[in-house]
Amino acid sequence: MGQETSKNIRVGAFVLAGTVLLIFSLYLIGAKQNLFGSTFELKSQFKNVNGLMPGNNVRFTGIDVGTVKSVEIINDSTVDVTMVIENKVQAFIKKNATAMVGTDGLMGNKLININSSNESAPSVEDGDFLVSKNPLGTDDMMRTLNITNENAKDITIDLKNIVRRLNSPNTLWSILMDTIVAENVKEAIVNIKVTGERTAIITGDLSRIVKHVKEGKGTIGALIADTTFAVKLNQSIVNIKLITDSLALVTGDLHYITSKVKKGEGAIGTVLMDTTFVNNLNESMKNVRSGTKNFDEDMEALKHNILLRNYFKKKEKAAKEKK
Amino acid sequence: MIKNILIEIGLIARFTARFFREVFKPQFEFSEFLRQCFYIGNKSFPLVAITAFIMGLVITMQSRPTLVEFGAQAWLPKMISVSLVREIAPVITALICAGKIGSGIGAELGSMKVTEQIDAMDVSGTNPYKFLVVTRVMATTLMIPILAILADGISLYGGYLGCNIHGLVSWDLFWNQVFDTLVFADIVPSILKTFFFGFIIGIIGCYQGFNSSKGTEGVGQSANSAVVISSLLVFIIDLLAVQITDALNLN
Repeated sequence: MGQETSKNIRVGAFVLAGTVLLIFSLYLIGAKQNLFGSTFELKSQFKNVNGLMPGNNVRFTGIDVGTVKSVEIINDSTVDVTMVIENKVQAFIKKNATAMVGTDGLMGNKLININSSNESAPSVEDGDFLVSKNPLGTDDMMRTLNITNENAKDITIDLKNIVRRLNSPNTLWSILMDTIVAENVKEAIVNIKVTGERTAIITGDLSRIVKHVKEGKGTIGALIADTTFAVKLNQSIVNIKLITDSLALVTGDLHYITSKVKKGEGAIGTVLMDTTFVNNLNESMKNVRSGTKNFDEDMEALKHNILLRNYFKKKEKAAKEKK
Repeated sequence: MIKNILIEIGLIARFTARFFREVFKPQFEFSEFLRQCFYIGNKSFPLVAITAFIMGLVITMQSRPTLVEFGAQAWLPKMISVSLVREIAPVITALICAGKIGSGIGAELGSMKVTEQIDAMDVSGTNPYKFLVVTRVMATTLMIPILAILADGISLYGGYLGCNIHGLVSWDLFWNQVFDTLVFADIVPSILKTFFFGFIIGIIGCYQGFNSSKGTEGVGQSANSAVVISSLLVFIIDLLAVQITDALNLN
C-alpha cells in the first residue's frame, strides 16, 4: 500500500511538473503579447503596412511596449492598425508622436516604431490615433539606389575623361609640371608682393591726404573745410539762378517775337512770311537787275564817248605804270 | 491483402468505438489508471528526457553552420525554439513512447491473452476491457502530452547548451529570444496533437495485445505490430495536424 502511495505521489509530481511547465510557457508567451498586464489601445492608419501582422511588436524609443492587435483594410489606400500598449508607458507617449512600420534588423519581423516629437503635447489616451509616417520600403530604397548607381556611373565616366585629359600632353598637367611656369608663377608672386607693398605706401599717402583734406589744408581742403568759400559759392549759385531767370524771360520774349514773325506780323514778319510781298520783291529785283544791266551798257557807251574817252585812257595808263 | 487491411482497419475502429463506450460507464479503475500513469509517464521520462536533450543539442549544432553563412547566428535560439516546440520534441516523444510503451502494452496484453488471463478475468466478472484497455489508453493519452511538454523544455535547454558550444548566448537572452519567438499558435497545436499521439499509441498497443494469438510467437508479433502501426499513425496524425494548422493559418 505504501509503495502504491509512493508511486501515486511520483505520478502526481510528474503531472504537476508538466502542467506547471506548460502554464509557465503559456504565461510567458502571453506576457510577451501583453495579454495579462493592463493595456490600452492606440490606432494609426497607413497607406502600406509592408506585411505587418497581428502579434508584431510595437516599439517606443527602441523598447518593446506592446503588440499589434489587428490590421484591417479600410479602403484601397488606407489600412487601419490597432495596437495594444502597456499602461506603464502611456504617460511617455505624447499625442504628437508618429507611428512608422519598420523591420527588426535587416531581415527580421515587421514592427511598428512609435517616435516621439520634440514639441510638447499631452499624453495619449485609450483609442487615440497616432499620425503615421510612410515606411521606407526596400523597393523604394532599391529604386533610389538604382538612380544613385546610374549617377555614380555617369560621374565616374566624366571623372575618367577629365583625368585622361589632364594626363594628356599640352594640358593643365603639363603646365603643372613645367618648371618655367613655376618660376614665372614665383616671380609673379614676388611682383604681387612688391605691388602690395607699393599699394600699402600709396594707401598711406592717400590716408595722409585725406587727413589733410579733413583738416582743411590745401585747395581741396579749403574747398571742403572753408565756410567763407562755401558762402561765396552759395552766392554764386544764387547769381547763376538770377541769370537763368533773366534768360528765361528773354527766351519768353524771343518766343513771342518768333511767333509774331511766324504769323507774318510786323515788318520782319511781312518780309519773311508774306508771299505776295516776296513776289513783289522778286519782281523788283528783276527790274533792278535789268536796270543795272542797261546802266552797265550805258556806262560802256560812255567810255567810248568822245568826251570821256581821255579820262579812261589816262586811268588805264596810270594802272599800267603802277604795275 | 487489401481485404485484410480493410478488416484490420475495421477491427481497430470497432475497438476504438468500444473504448468510447466503456470510458463513460461507471466504475472507473482509478488505481490501475494511476499505476499505468506511473509506468507510462514516470518510467518513460528518463528515456524521453535524454532523447529530447540530445535532439535539442544536435539540432542546434547542425543548424548553426547554415545560419553562420548568412551571418544570422543570433537567430539560432529563435529558429531552434520553433523547430523543437512545433515538431521535433512532440514527434520524438511520441516515437519513443510508441517504441517503449506501445510494445510494452502489446506484449503485456498479448501474453495475458495467450495465457487466457483475459478470459479468466471475464469469467470472474471483471470487465477486462475496462480494466486493461481503458486505463492504459487514458494513461497514454494524458501522459504523453506531459512528456512532450517536459521534452520541449529539456530540448530547449539542450539547444541553449548547443548555442554556447561555439558561441556565447546568455541564459536570459536565450530564453528571452525563445519566448519572443514562440506564440500560442506554436505551443497549443503541438500539445493538442500529442493527445492524439498518446491515444493512438495506447489504442494500437491494446488492440494488438487484445487480439494476440498463436502463443508466444503471437506475443512478439503483437508487440512488433503495435510499434510499427502506432509509429506510422503518429506520422499520419502529424501530417493531418500540420494541414489543419496550415488551414487555420497558424503556421
